Amino acid sequence: MKKKNLLIGALVATLIGGSLIAHPAKAASTDLVIGSVLDIDKTDPHTATNFATVRALGLVYGSLIEIGAKNAIKGGLATSWIFSKDGMQLTLNLREGVKFHDGTAFDAEDAKASLERILDTKTGAAARANIATITSITAKGRQLILKLSVPNAPILAALEGVNMAMLSKEDITAAKIGGSNKPNGTGPFKWGSWEPTQSVKLSSFADYYMGEPKIKNVTIRVIPNEASILSAMNAGSVQFGIVTDPLIAKQVGKNLKTFRVPALAYYALQFNTKVAPLNDKNVRLAIQCAINRDELIQTALLGEGKVTGPITSPAYRSDPTARPCPKQDLAKAKEYLTAAGKSSGVSFKTMVTSTGWATSVSMAQNLKAQLAKANITMELDIIEQGTYVPRWLAADFVATLANNGGRIDPDTMYTRYFTSTGNLNKVATYSSSTLDANFLKGKASGKVAVRKDAYTAISKELEDNAIWVWLATPYEYRVSVKNLRNFSALANGSLLPLRSAYLG
Amino acid sequence: MKKSSLLSRLLSVATTLFGISIFVFLVLRVIPGDTITSSLGIETGALNQEQIESLRKYYGIDQPIIGQYFSWISSFIQGDLGFSYSTGAPVLQLTKSALLVTMELALLGTTLGVFLGISVGMFSARKPGSLRDFLGQFFGLLALAIPGFVLSTTIVTVMANKFQYFPNGNEYMSPVEDLWMNLQQMLFPSLVLGIAVAAPVMRTTRSALLETVDKDFVRTAIGKGVTAKAVRLKHILRNSLIPIVTMTGIQFGYLLGGAVIVEKIFALPGMGRQILDAINKREYATVQSSIMVFAILFVTINLITDLIYRRIDPRIK
Repeated sequence: MKKKNLLIGALVATLIGGSLIAHPAKAASTDLVIGSVLDIDKTDPHTATNFATVRALGLVYGSLIEIGAKNAIKGGLATSWIFSKDGMQLTLNLREGVKFHDGTAFDAEDAKASLERILDTKTGAAARANIATITSITAKGRQLILKLSVPNAPILAALEGVNMAMLSKEDITAAKIGGSNKPNGTGPFKWGSWEPTQSVKLSSFADYYMGEPKIKNVTIRVIPNEASILSAMNAGSVQFGIVTDPLIAKQVGKNLKTFRVPALAYYALQFNTKVAPLNDKNVRLAIQCAINRDELIQTALLGEGKVTGPITSPAYRSDPTARPCPKQDLAKAKEYLTAAGKSSGVSFKTMVTSTGWATSVSMAQNLKAQLAKANITMELDIIEQGTYVPRWLAADFVATLANNGGRIDPDTMYTRYFTSTGNLNKVATYSSSTLDANFLKGKASGKVAVRKDAYTAISKELEDNAIWVWLATPYEYRVSVKNLRNFSALANGSLLPLRSAYLG
Repeated sequence: MKKSSLLSRLLSVATTLFGISIFVFLVLRVIPGDTITSSLGIETGALNQEQIESLRKYYGIDQPIIGQYFSWISSFIQGDLGFSYSTGAPVLQLTKSALLVTMELALLGTTLGVFLGISVGMFSARKPGSLRDFLGQFFGLLALAIPGFVLSTTIVTVMANKFQYFPNGNEYMSPVEDLWMNLQQMLFPSLVLGIAVAAPVMRTTRSALLETVDKDFVRTAIGKGVTAKAVRLKHILRNSLIPIVTMTGIQFGYLLGGAVIVEKIFALPGMGRQILDAINKREYATVQSSIMVFAILFVTINLITDLIYRRIDPRIK
């Protein structure tokens, strides 16, 4: 019997001890494993909205325009462009020698078919509204000519990204996009495989127009917990991590490298200005004055964020000191409440998503505590994301703490919210003739100075009326092993810089 | 088991499953949001009515609710679990691989938990009120008190930071693909689950043993000169097994559905994650069919537990 016990003991010890000793093989230096909490949810780039899908397909597909390291617009599959004098026509000159992963050449007919697919309402393209001013598309040699219904300078920025991916005309005609079809793009990495809930595998594209990437194999592995991604990086089985939680970003050790850039997205306390008590401008201004944004950033965001105004687009960024009460001013808040006839205090309900982003609930609780000092009661209605989205879309809230995506151009960022015909104006709950006029002015001019005036005026109108209370922008984090070279993080979260990165 | 008794049991199983199918189907329709808003998020606001209608048709949610139920349940009975639009794969295919992961995890966790629970329970019950009893009960309380996610996170962090060891950071390997890697990937999650199972099993074992130890047949066996070990194993433990088996069956069923957090932290592509993801995406077919598979498993395990009772104690009819 003793022998039997010894044998069992030895077996258990071998299993546990052996597993501790047998470290998994490290990836080769041309292989990069990326840890991501989210899995992709589709392979059609035009309908992709999930961050993970956009990131993964961004390595596979190319677009006419790209965003560079300093958030500047630069050529992608188009090398140059020119607007007609009246701003009603955009001519793009397409890059030569570009190939799709199936070996066929990319030309203006492919670009035309791709944009037409986006404009087709049956596609359900996520960014259709951004290019809806296109009235006709002509492919002429290596040129693509877009005729517009109104002068529209921001359309250039709208042609950037995965939602504007260039597809092969053959694939479009044969309806071979999305579903179980293998993505066929012009990007630096070819599609390998997708194992749902586990991983996406890509390999370098030898005929990529910028030259074959030095990283030969990219695996995007789904690890549904950010702490576990960091652990996998510490253990050496993952070389690159996508992190959104500032708490995790703060735990990154010296053995790893953190890339940290201010995001284009922003946090805002979004109001429904159609319902009481927030239909009263003075109540909204009282809330604006009672909030201490720095405290919010230091506590709920662990110091990881920057105070922001409405516009986060780098070239047109709002000045956060130009708003009423740029710093917390409780006396002013009380004045506004008195002006609203609510000197004894006011109460409103705020819808908060519990699962939308890591710091949502702690931010809401911090704001609630701050507002209480001004006799403003913010009741929290905390719900999961799946319930939050339809209620948000229906403007079924009095107020909501929102984490809204930003854009490189303020036109595509806010036209849909704050113009009277914008498709999300119902959610924004505010529009005016002056806002409409300023958005048109910003759209019509190609000159940054003129556009800046228009967007400064828009920003001022929104903040002077406290339509929403803009709070802060978070950071985008990328964590990598120390020896990842030549990579820079982009504010739009794209992983495209991996095309020129290497491990060494 | 008598034929009539078996038939009535099977009928009750079928009724339970029917009830579950209706409940799950309705609950999913009651919660706000649908596949479109979950898939496109706030970008749904950019769609016009024509696009929304087209997507509703595509996802099959434009049909009347009764039609949707019968369409799903009749397909399910025929072995067609539906289609997952987000992954582009049939739910049956997804469920096959995820179920194997969860079953392996639950089996390993239960085995470890039962082994630990019975051992500590016996250890504790041998001298009630002694230091060993205190230690055994302390283990039971500790195991009950530590939440799985705390234990999991601690293990992952310590092993990765101190020993650079986190096999679950690698691609998941099934036992067929790489048994050694699979065992490494299952070791810590099954340990976490095993500890959670061990606590109630330990407490049940201890109280069942203490109840049995004073029975007449035990005194008789001792009086007849049966060795102490044989009395413990063949007379006391065997006659205490019914509550232990009941508890083990319940815990195994719980592990099938309750391993979501452990699957998330250890990046295991199991059923818990599949269902949670599908709920978040409002993928009705995936949620409904996966829960039905769970329900079938659960009632089957209960049925097997009942059969085991009869094997342990032939007096049970």
